[in-house]
Amino acid sequence: MNNKRVLVVDDEVQITRVLRRSLSGHGYEVQTAADGEEALEAFKSWKPDLVVTDLAMPNMSGLELCRRLRAASAVPIIVLSAKGDERIEVEALDAGADDYITKPFGMDELLARIRAGLRRIDSGQRAELKEIVAGEVRVDFETRTVSVKGGEAHLTPKEYELLVFMVRNAGKVLTHRVLLGAVWGGDYVEQTEYLRVFIGHLRKKIEPDPSKPRYILTEPWIGYRFAIES
Amino acid sequence: MFQMTKKGAGAAVAGVVVVTLALVPFRDTLSSATVALTLLLVVLLTATYFGAPPAYLAAVISFLSLNFFFLRPFNTFSIAGVENWIALFVFLITALVTGELSGRARRRAEEAQQRKIEIERLYKELQGTFARLSEAEALRRSEQLKTALLDAVTHDLRTPLTSIKASVTTLLKESNSTSDGNSQLHLDDEGRQEMLEVINEESDRLNHFIEGIVELARIQGGDLEFKHEWGPVDEMIAMAAQRAQPFAEAHSVVIAVQDELPLVRVDPRAVAEVVYLLIDNAAKYSPANTRIAIRARREKDEFMAIEVEDEGVGIPNELREKVFDKFFRARPDVAKALERPSGMGMGLAIARGIVQSQGGRIWIEDGRTGRGTRIIFTIPIGDE
Repeated sequence: MNNKRVLVVDDEVQITRVLRRSLSGHGYEVQTAADGEEALEAFKSWKPDLVVTDLAMPNMSGLELCRRLRAASAVPIIVLSAKGDERIEVEALDAGADDYITKPFGMDELLARIRAGLRRIDSGQRAELKEIVAGEVRVDFETRTVSVKGGEAHLTPKEYELLVFMVRNAGKVLTHRVLLGAVWGGDYVEQTEYLRVFIGHLRKKIEPDPSKPRYILTEPWIGYRFAIES
Repeated sequence: MFQMTKKGAGAAVAGVVVVTLALVPFRDTLSSATVALTLLLVVLLTATYFGAPPAYLAAVISFLSLNFFFLRPFNTFSIAGVENWIALFVFLITALVTGELSGRARRRAEEAQQRKIEIERLYKELQGTFARLSEAEALRRSEQLKTALLDAVTHDLRTPLTSIKASVTTLLKESNSTSDGNSQLHLDDEGRQEMLEVINEESDRLNHFIEGIVELARIQGGDLEFKHEWGPVDEMIAMAAQRAQPFAEAHSVVIAVQDELPLVRVDPRAVAEVVYLLIDNAAKYSPANTRIAIRARREKDEFMAIEVEDEGVGIPNELREKVFDKFFRARPDVAKALERPSGMGMGLAIARGIVQSQGGRIWIEDGRTGRGTRIIFTIPIGDE
């Protein structure tokens, strides 16, 4: 089986105990850390393929950990948060986290996110690819064209940029801020209504049923995610 | 101050006219002094009821009336004799001074009255402000309590639930995947065992938390009814130690009670609860295989002192008050280092609530050997 390494960071012993057992049972190599500083140590010496971290911890918060990890590497980070903490989720995602999961969660859900995070890294060479195919959507970077079910979808340049950014970060939760900053630039990070309009247009052009999106998923209050092919 | 009101002026004129008309028929027989005194009375009354300006008016009209009607020759303003002149001017001056004095007295009375009203108004305003302030304070406190409760609920309920849910979903998946034969999940017996243990421990933790909340709410609500009966302290301590045994298995619990302690008149359940909470707390924050000592002795004449001492890291001086606050945890890191779930920060708050309800005091000192924590509480022995 796979021997991917997962670093679990939580200050609650019981949670790290369970996750260690369960993830090892699923064939992952697991190490645990009780706070951000310990996690950074483990990250340097052990080089995990993915990090799962709690947000509220002593010594160094999960938020700061995300920032530090992101500054040093592209390792996928999944944050554990509590429902109703959208503000801090968004902060964590802006700080570099890839995904979040709210406590309490079922193991299958966490495993699915871990797989998605690892897959994103597997296909991390996407920037050099000539094309990306996601389901029935095909993006050709050389001709800058997008086709759905073989037929060409006519996108405006901004729509194309937005789609490419999302496809290149497929599986990752992208906050409004991140999307606006990447496609429109730093002056526009507060203009969420821009984004909503463009996402609407994109869905009309590439989704089979724009009211029940398959590719461009909404993360309520937080942002959007391009569904990774499973 | 006092204006010359129409009413005042009317009264002044009317008074003088009435007296004049009443006395004119007898002016031949009356001495001018009698007439003067009667008119002075009018001035005085005017001043008393209407203030100084109408009194001056009354004085001047009286002066003219006296001159015209009562000083010989009658019905002229001319006056015969030096004596009458002097009498007339003495009258005028007396009337003016009387008016002024009684007017001033009246003014004082009115000012005092007004000051009284003003003070009453200020007092009421102040009272209202105090009432509003204490309302706001109570509201702020209950808001604080709500926030603390919410934090506790989000953290202390969700954390055990997360461990439980993660364990259960793993175990469920395993039992499903073994039945359909194509398993990607491999748990060994040890792993399975550990997950079951976590579920068990975390369920206890949740239950403990809920009991704590209920207990705290009861104490705060003041509807906790304590029975007061005579009983031996060592029995209450033994009761508590027995109850705490599952938590303190890894520690050696030593009980040392002074000989011939008097009985105490308290609620034995309440005392046992406090001792139990203190043992629980000691076990949580001190390493395994260390000692937890419980001692009881007489403190002065009317108190009994009971203490629970551990050999843990101790509590810094500046936190020794705070640890009794609800949801405050001095050393969550210690529980962590000991690989134990941290507490909810409620045990000591409950203990203090109970001790205070029994008329005692609770505080923290260094352990006797210089390390560890010693929590001491007193209870009154009670009267016959």
